Formats: sequence, C-alpha cells, structure tokens
Amino acid sequence: MIIPIELVNHYPWLPSRKKHYSDISGKDPSDKDPIEFISEVFSKDFGIKIKERLLILFNAAFENLEEISDYKIDNLNIYVYLLLKILLYALDNRIITNRVANLYSKIAYSELKKENDSNLYYICQDLGLNIKYYDPPINYGIIRVKEQHQKLETNFALYFIDYLKLASTLRDEYRQLVHNALSQGYVLIQNKRLIRLIQEYVRNKLLLNETKDKVSLKEFLKKILEIKDFKEVYDKITEAWTERKEEFEFVFKIDFESKENILELYPPCVGEILRKAKEGRNLIHNERLFIVWFLLALEYPVEEVVDLFSTMPDFDKEKTYYQVNFAKKKKYVPYKCLTLKSLNLCMAKKYNDELCLEGYFSKELGDRKNVTHPLRYTRIKQYRASKEKNYTKKQLNKKNE
Amino acid sequence: MSDNEYLKRLFQAYYKENRSEITYVSRFEQREFGYIPWDNQIIMNRHLSFQNHESLIKYLIEEGPRHVYSSGALYLKPDNTDMDNKIYQGCDLIIDIDVDHFYTPCKEDHDLWICNSCGKEGTGMPKKCPNCGKLKLKTINWICTNCLDVAKNEIFKLIYNFLIPDFGINLDQTKIAFSGHRGYHLKIENEDIRTLSSEERREISNYLSGEHISFEILGWQKRVDSIFGPFKDNIGWTNKIMKKIEDFLKKPYQEIHDLLGNKNKFNFNESQVKAFLNLKEDILGVLNDNSRNTWPSYGFGVDSWYKFLKGIVHEIGVEIDIPVTIDIHRLIRYPGSLHGKTGFRAQEIYPDELDDFNPLDEAIDKLDPIVFKSNKSQKLIITESKVPLTKIKGESYGPYNKDEIIEVPHHIAVFLLCKEVAKTI
Repeated sequence: MIIPIELVNHYPWLPSRKKHYSDISGKDPSDKDPIEFISEVFSKDFGIKIKERLLILFNAAFENLEEISDYKIDNLNIYVYLLLKILLYALDNRIITNRVANLYSKIAYSELKKENDSNLYYICQDLGLNIKYYDPPINYGIIRVKEQHQKLETNFALYFIDYLKLASTLRDEYRQLVHNALSQGYVLIQNKRLIRLIQEYVRNKLLLNETKDKVSLKEFLKKILEIKDFKEVYDKITEAWTERKEEFEFVFKIDFESKENILELYPPCVGEILRKAKEGRNLIHNERLFIVWFLLALEYPVEEVVDLFSTMPDFDKEKTYYQVNFAKKKKYVPYKCLTLKSLNLCMAKKYNDELCLEGYFSKELGDRKNVTHPLRYTRIKQYRASKEKNYTKKQLNKKNE
Repeated sequence: MSDNEYLKRLFQAYYKENRSEITYVSRFEQREFGYIPWDNQIIMNRHLSFQNHESLIKYLIEEGPRHVYSSGALYLKPDNTDMDNKIYQGCDLIIDIDVDHFYTPCKEDHDLWICNSCGKEGTGMPKKCPNCGKLKLKTINWICTNCLDVAKNEIFKLIYNFLIPDFGINLDQTKIAFSGHRGYHLKIENEDIRTLSSEERREISNYLSGEHISFEILGWQKRVDSIFGPFKDNIGWTNKIMKKIEDFLKKPYQEIHDLLGNKNKFNFNESQVKAFLNLKEDILGVLNDNSRNTWPSYGFGVDSWYKFLKGIVHEIGVEIDIPVTIDIHRLIRYPGSLHGKTGFRAQEIYPDELDDFNPLDEAIDKLDPIVFKSNKSQKLIITESKVPLTKIKGESYGPYNKDEIIEVPHHIAVFLLCKEVAKTI
C-alpha cells in the first residue's frame, strides 16, 4: 500500500518518507553524509524559513508551550523534521531532546486529531501497525458518567502486541491492558486514544536519537558547524538554552541537616527516580506519587519537591504545586517495599544494594531484619552515617591529643 | 554409594534408554541451558548451549543431572557468560502455574511446616509461624491429585477464558507441560510475542491474573453510601466480573454462604454474609435490568462491595507465577527431562489430552510422567519427623514417622528419595 504523498509531507516521521523521498532520506543523520544535505537545504530559497521554523520550535519547547499557534504544515515540514533530528543529535542534551520531542509529538497529536478515519488508517498501516477497521463502528459497551450514558464504540481495533509496544511507556492506569476491551487479540480503541499512542510513537522517534559515541559526535559537530547557516541556528539555540537552562536543569536543592551526600542515604528505588528526573526522562504515575510522598515524608519543602519535576517533559508549575500541596495536606505515606516490588519500582537487584538485599542487624544480636520500607532504609543509613562521623571525629581528636 | 549417586545413576540409565522421549525444543541451538547436579549444595550451572539434540542427550546420559532447564529466550551466543553479550533475540511467553504459590485446601492435609525458631509444627501454608510470628519455616510440600487438578483447572482457565477469546492465541503455537512436580508450564512460541519486553509482558501478566485492576476505571463508582455498577455487556474484564457475579448469585444459598465466609476466599463475617444474602435477589435484578445501576447496599456497604469485587477478580484471574512470565532470561524445566524432586518426567501434553491427563495415575503410557514404575519393592528408612500420605497409581503409602523402616515399590522409593525424606538401607 502506498500512502498519499500529502500525508508524508504532513507527517515526515512516517516510514514511507524513505520511499517517497529517497533523495532526502539518504541524508538522514544516521546516514553517512548529512553535511551535503544541510548545505543544500540552507542554500535554497526556503533556507531562511526553515531556520525561523526551527528556532520557533526550540524556543517554544524552552518556554514549555503545549502547541505553536501558527505552526506551518507544508512541503518544508519534511526538511524541518530532518534538521530537527540532526540538531538534537548535535546538541546531545537529554533535557532539550525531551522538551522538543514532547512539543513536536503534541503538535503531531493536534494535527492527527483533524484527520479522517481513512487517513488515520493509512497512517497506522504505514507505521506497520496491525490494525482493523470496522464500518459501521463496533460497539463495545456503555459507560455511565453521572446520569448520562455514553456508548463506547469505535472503528478501530489494534493488535495487542502493537498496543503494548505503543502504550507501555505511557503506563497510565486507564491505558493498562487490563482496563481495555480486548477481544480475539485486538484492543478496541477509540480514535483519540489511538492518536495518543501515535503521539507517543513520534516522541520516541525523536528520543531514539542519542549517541554514546562522543568522539564521533564531536567530529560530526565540528564538520557541521562549518556550515554558516547551521551554526547560526545552533548558536541561537544554545544561547537560548543557556538563558533558560537554570529553570530546567536538575538542581537538587534539598539538603539534609548534616550536609552529607543525600543520595547515598536513599534506597536505590529513590535514586533511580531522581536520576531519571535529572535526565529529564518521563516518570510514570506511580514513580511521581512515590517520590513526592517520600520527599514530603522527610519534610522537604514543597517548592523543592516541585523543582524536582521541572525537567519533566510535561512540567506545569501550577499543576505540580497544587498536586504536591494536596499530597502534603493528605499526609500520604510512601509505598512500602512490597508495593514497590509489585509496581516493578524496586531497584534492589538492579543496583545490588546490600542493605536492601541482605537486611541489617538490629540491636538484638544475631537477629537480621529485612528493610521493609524505603523510609526505614534512609533512617538506617542516616544512623550509620552519623555513627561513622562520630567515630572519625573521635579518631581525629585522639590524633590531635 | 550415596543416595544422590544412586539417583544420578537411575537418571542416567533413564536417559540412555529413553532417548526418543527427550523433547527437541524449537530454535534449539539458540537456547541457553542450565542444570543442577546431584551435589549436596543446590547450585545452578547456567550458560550452556548444545549444537544439536544428540549432544544434549549425550550430555544427559553422561551427567544424569538432578534438574535440567532451557531458556525461553533465544540468543545468538547462548553460552556467553555475560548476559549482555549473549545477543538476545527474543523470548517465548512462559506462563507457570505452580501450586507452591497459591492456596489449595488439600495443603491443610499434606503440606507440613515446622518453625525454625519455636519448633511449632502444623499443616497448610502459613506465611509466618502462628505461634511466634517468625517467618523462617521449614516446609515439606507434597502433591496429591487434588492440588494437581487445581493447577490443571488454572491451565484451562488460562487457555479458554483468556488466551483464545481475549488474546486470539493459536493453540498450534502453544506448548503445555506438566512440570514433574506441582504444576504446569505453558509456552507460546510466536514471533510477535517473542519481541515483547519485560514491561510489556507484565501487562499481559496483570491481565491474566487481574492484578492492579481499578474498579473505577472499569466503570464502578462509589457515591457516599452507594455503589453504581457498569453494564454487563461491556467487553473485557468488566464483562468477566459481571458474568461471574451473576453465576455466583445463582449458586445455592448454602454454597454462597460458605464461600463468602471462607477465609481463603471472600473472608466476610457472619453479619456481612447475611446482609449479602438478603440482597441477593435485588442484586440479580439490577444485573439484568439495563435501566438500573445502583447496587443495593443495605447492611453491605461500599467497602464490602469492593472487597467482594476483589474476591470475584481473584476467582476469575489465573494463578500465574508473575515473575516467571516477566523475566525474559528465566530458565524453565526442559520438557522430557526428569524432575529431581520427584523423579517424574516433565511431560509435554497436547491441549486436547489435558482433560484426561492425570499425572499421578496416568492411563496412557506415553504420557505417564512416572517413569520408574515397578512392582519391585525397596527398603527405606524415613529421615523426617513426619512424611505425608502419598497416593500414586491408585495406591496409598504412609503417612510415615521418623526412623520408620518401610518397604515400597521402586517408583515410590525414588519419589521419597528425591523428596529427601528417606534414605536407602
């Protein structure tokens, strides 16, 4: 099946781009020589427009906007998308990548919402999704909202494997397979939710653009920055980022009274979430709840807990304040170890943490106990740290005497 | 010759004489193998691979291991000792149903425990000592036709209530095996499924077991002192729950009473049970009337309803061992190999053979997991304080007490030796 070229222009992340634009896609950043492609793009009449569009995109991402009001979808869209990928690769900044990927995917979502079923079906097919289309729509139930009845019906059914692959990074409760209508291997899914899954596909497509090979990256950067127009865009973006980065970059302001390295006092489950937050990676709902409840239980100020979320791709300061304050008022208790295990948030084995895995000796000699709560872990680590400190102090005093 | 050496030789002889019984698993050369030898210390040796079936058989004859496993996963370098360097290629979906992990009433008869701290003894499967509260209990877990039937029933639920109607799984791609001890394994060999990550497999596990269900998302709503229910025709788990409730309400009065009061099922007190039974007809009325959705709650409040719903979900869900399904690097017992805790064969069965399959008294010889059956008797001395009754091939043996000298048929002797509750004399 050949997808109409208009759809490829509109959605350049579609795999068919490579078929329709083999001349362009040959210059993807992952390919051998993108330099020629970049020079060619900027040498054309529309080079200036592309520069503008790229800067609008990055600035909007730094402003944490959810959409760009006059975002243009035309034939240049494909160049913007490919250059965007090159820029993200060159910038090699996880927080920027997350922000841009988030915004770009939201734009895709808004656009996809305007599509008719036929185009949506084409798009899913092009993405290689195993999808069925029902006409007339299939009825799969009724929900009651207050006194209103709402019929659940859809034209689309998505193969459960594809559903899981698209939905697993989202992991909102209502998206879990157990809460969906699954029949004969297909999840009956309404357009809006299907589009949300495609949005996630687009986001991941941009996130996959990171490299571990820093040497090659450095060489690549050196070469592309020789292209004047590209350098201009790159410099403007880094300049804008420098101005704004303090607002986003993870600064763990919270400090324990004793000024120790607080991360060492936390169990690996907490450390993992903090690391993810630092890298600007999306946290799932349960991770967010847990970290907020954990930090509040340790009496961290609300402002500083809110700061932790500032790197999230969907950060909204006002909402976060409200939610953290609400959690504080309710005095929620952070999950215990057993719950963390069932939610797959326990990181004891991943980090081979001795205290988590082997427990500790209580005052009763020879009685080894298991750590059953992350707060207990922190208390034990605090206790050990203070004992060690006192010992060192005593040793120093002895030496001085 | 030690008993372990004796069992090793028996296993070696079995493998030598029954080469054709040892299954050839698909993508054989891409599987990682592991085994546990007949040493006193139970240590798993992993990261093995075999180029062909013949080399595995040769190995089994030479080593006669206590347990043999192979991976659900496929690797380009299955024998590489570093998991990251094995070059993972995907994994079959493995579902393990093992009565070790869930309650069956027969455990009150045959599963023994003794507290390491206070010495208290009892039967059943307590999580901690009911006397001193300590968690370290020594257990002797036994098998009987009842608990193996419960496990088999879970496989039926899995296939006919979930895998076929919901997941559209083709039975031709499904392999079922009696584990040789207390359960069954089901493996789905499908190229699409092999690509699923651990996290995506967790979603499937949750679906099959009903873990983490939110009743609110499925359509139930709490309102102060009443509860609004969803429509019973909604596809998915809602439909399963509503159907189950309806079936439950149609049971005889006494049966409902007993199930609601059963501490291993719904665990309601007598007044809650009575309140529910008073509402029984009303509830049935609401379930069958699309214009009503307020569930009666007089004497059976919102919290009781949620507890009841959780109990219903537990009845519907399959008792799967979740960590097995989500672990893509897990090794599982190799089909056709012998289980070192029983001496029984891990027996592959076709779905249509499952209904009549009875591992402890199987009529069809080629499906019989009890491979050492013989009328020749053997003398043993019991080494554990108590050994539960064993019923195999229609004959009962035991229960026995420590130091008792017994004379039992060869297959029972092998079973008791493998269980490490007796010694040869």
